Amino acid sequence: MRAMAAAFNRAHDEEGLAVHLTFFPDFQYTEKVSIASAAHDLPDVLALDGPTVAQFVDADLLQPIARYFTDEELADFAPTIRAQGTVDGTLYALGAFDSAMVLYYDRDLLAQAGVTPPPDFNGWTWDEFLAACARLKAASIDPVAMHMDDAGDEWYTYAFSPLIWSAGGRLIGDDGRVEGVLNAPGNVTVLRRWAEVFARDYAARAPIDPNPFGNGHTALDWTGHWMARSHLAVKGERLGAMPLPRMGDRPVAACGSWCWGLTRDARSPDLAALWLRWVTDPVRGIEPIIGANGAVPARRSAYALFPDYHAPPFGLFRHLQETAGHPRPRTPFYPTLTRHFAAALRDTAHGADPQECLNRAAHQIQNRVNRHHGSP
Amino acid sequence: MKRIAGWLVAVVVALGFLLPLLWMLHASFRPESAIFTGGLKSLFDFRGLHLEHYVAAWRRAAMGIGLLNSLLQVAGILGLGLLFNSMAAFALARFDFPGRAGLFALVIVLIILPVEVLVVPLLLTVRDLGLVGGHGRTLAALVLPFAVKAFNIYFLRQHFLALPRDLEEAAIMDGAGPFRIYWSVGLPAIRPALATVLVLDMLTHWSDFIWPLVICTREETRTVQIALSNLFTQPPIQWGDILACAVMTTLPVLVVFRLAQRHIVASQLTAGIK
Amino acid sequence: MKQRLTIPRIVPWLFLAPALLLLGTFALFPLLRGAWWSLTNADLLRTDAAVWTGAANYSELLSDPRFRRAFFNTACFALMVVPVQATLAFFLALWVNRPERYWRWLRTAFFLPIIVSMPVLAVLWTMLYQPLRGGQTGLINALIGSIGLPAQEWLQQPHLALPAIAFMSVWQGVGFQMMIFLAGLQSLSRAQLEAARIDGAGAFQRLRHVILPAMRPSIIFVMTATLILSFRLFAQPYLMTRGGPEDATLSIIQFIYETTFLGRELGRASAGAMLFLLLVAGLALLQRAFAREVRS
Repeated sequence: MRAMAAAFNRAHDEEGLAVHLTFFPDFQYTEKVSIASAAHDLPDVLALDGPTVAQFVDADLLQPIARYFTDEELADFAPTIRAQGTVDGTLYALGAFDSAMVLYYDRDLLAQAGVTPPPDFNGWTWDEFLAACARLKAASIDPVAMHMDDAGDEWYTYAFSPLIWSAGGRLIGDDGRVEGVLNAPGNVTVLRRWAEVFARDYAARAPIDPNPFGNGHTALDWTGHWMARSHLAVKGERLGAMPLPRMGDRPVAACGSWCWGLTRDARSPDLAALWLRWVTDPVRGIEPIIGANGAVPARRSAYALFPDYHAPPFGLFRHLQETAGHPRPRTPFYPTLTRHFAAALRDTAHGADPQECLNRAAHQIQNRVNRHHGSP
Repeated sequence: MKRIAGWLVAVVVALGFLLPLLWMLHASFRPESAIFTGGLKSLFDFRGLHLEHYVAAWRRAAMGIGLLNSLLQVAGILGLGLLFNSMAAFALARFDFPGRAGLFALVIVLIILPVEVLVVPLLLTVRDLGLVGGHGRTLAALVLPFAVKAFNIYFLRQHFLALPRDLEEAAIMDGAGPFRIYWSVGLPAIRPALATVLVLDMLTHWSDFIWPLVICTREETRTVQIALSNLFTQPPIQWGDILACAVMTTLPVLVVFRLAQRHIVASQLTAGIK
Repeated sequence: MKQRLTIPRIVPWLFLAPALLLLGTFALFPLLRGAWWSLTNADLLRTDAAVWTGAANYSELLSDPRFRRAFFNTACFALMVVPVQATLAFFLALWVNRPERYWRWLRTAFFLPIIVSMPVLAVLWTMLYQPLRGGQTGLINALIGSIGLPAQEWLQQPHLALPAIAFMSVWQGVGFQMMIFLAGLQSLSRAQLEAARIDGAGAFQRLRHVILPAMRPSIIFVMTATLILSFRLFAQPYLMTRGGPEDATLSIIQFIYETTFLGRELGRASAGAMLFLLLVAGLALLQRAFAREVRS
């Protein structure tokens, strides 16, 4: 990031233009950025997590950005990237990369337990996944890492919502209805079946080791693109990756990631937009970022720069993003939603009744939505 | 014999009481994989101790700038607070003027106002004053709202009240003005009380959490407590680094406390009771 | 009363000016703004668009199960911490109240956790409370394991999390209360103690008839001060449990914090803050009433 800013400043030296990066402390990001916005301490261009775009639009803090890109350029961006930055038909944010969630596996450990991974680009059903875990457990191998130690809420919503979507469920309705949607019977079933992983001790619900897969303790790792390079370095040929297990007919992948928006109070939007174009440019912005974090390029044309995006794990990232990417809900109440939904997931994993947890969450979120609309 | 037994019991109890802190210090030097293994025996395992966690934590949590921010914050609060609180206390104790009783009542009422109630409106007020953002502004926002403290005014006033009248009469004979009397007679006379206030405020504000949590909006303006919380909550979790960071967060205040310890006169603490 | 010192009228106000200016700007003014917002539907990110809603925030809060839960949790926490901490501190004070030099070291040992800041301790105790996981575990589980008790998920089980946080908080604060009791004990005259001893009263009698009555002011102060401090609970659950599991450690302050910064509901959060202030003010009045009774 800093290197990219330096390159930008070199290129715009003659115009006397320079970008200054400000880093938010990033723990509990959602809180932090709403604190910064309340404090009016926002820069001209702001990096946001995809699902929070709607809240900033609702608070009138962002301005439309489509006019800084040609139609061809816009069409070059992946649909998921455009979707996460669009609120009510207007584009407010674009990013350099998209994220991908997969189930990594260690070929040797699976073979030891007699588990055969599915063919490339195919994933397990939930039952197949549980069966594989059972065989691993029987072979005295810890089956899977689910990273339940994450302190932020976003991990839980991001990593496990795909299960709900793959079973045809939703977190919030288009009309803002949450009660009866989030705690619908289908979602309760999904959570109940999901919690079996912890009840049967296939995954640690309070892990100590942040990277048990990389350290050779688990055979499977439920995580994102950001671990690909590190896992490859450790495992080499042993590393495999498949789509997340699904509870319905089709695999659904989590997607969405950091993107850039132009703040309403930007001193000179046209100049600030130069940075926006710079970071989303295939060569200047996307290549260095992807090179560092192993994510999915946000623009089709950028794939030419990455020869290894044909084979797993990177090829799988791309495949998932193009065929199964499902953005998280776009609602101004996303922070409230993710706070309570994540709590419901955490509590269910620790043995609480999923129906009660989802009811409680749905009630809290619904109240928040209702208060906004002024209805009783 | 009985004395030695009593002494032994005391040592064992003290060690048990301090076990968490001893564990923290010890574990911060241990290899990452060994921190949670080995049960109780690991407490006596001194193999493979190293400083790597400290090096990593210093870099990852930006401890240098964090410690500096915290130091400036506490120094600012103590410095300004010492002056402003004692001036107000002196006026309330040694001058007669209309409105004094009302002001003193206000001070008493403000003593109970908890910072947690103020955090949000204070954030927006500080914003309206333009005190959010870079280093200077954040420092002002950390210091100014907490420099003046109603309890300290009350506490110091009690001590100024207790001074005998002839103290300032002698000074008036010498032709000293009110500020001279405050500065060269009043303040030195209540030095123990001032020391108590300083030490207690240092402990309080070094551990400030909720206000820095909201006001330090940028990485480079974080206080050390916020840097620690960040390291603690941001994956990938490295337990050794977190422990090293915790030790480094504690050391400065421990050193200062050791130096200032003799100034904490227990009886001073109770002045607030009556 | 006679004029103490002939001075121009302006002088007291010059002495008071900095304090009044800062208190006014950073305490009274925000307090009034908070009180005003509590009666509106103010949004954190658009404070100018606030609309008067009267007491709606208050009535909604009082009927919100989550706010009630937060109040209940905080009260439970206070009820666990206050009696245990005060009793423990009292007996520690009796124990270490000796003139020899090495007892000073012991007092310092009990005081040490006060010096270490709360965020550090929250982080540290999260590690101490780590559950048993594949041969790895925290110190607490290792300790209770060594006496044959089963390992627990201290911070992950709803019925254990709040007591675990309370235990850690008692440990942290007991040294400070001990110092206050020590000061109280030292004001007790040696003659009082001696007299009781010569009368042939046993240790218990002495405690009950001599020490306890003389220590009443200290005891009331410690109890009420700890009570108010306990109600301000925030850093421990915020860092250790995020208010979970199942909202079992959600505190009032964390509720207000989340309502502000996740829900953006400034009006509602301000109403929560005002209710909290009322609570603390009530406790403070209670303390004064008790203290007055003791003096008369």
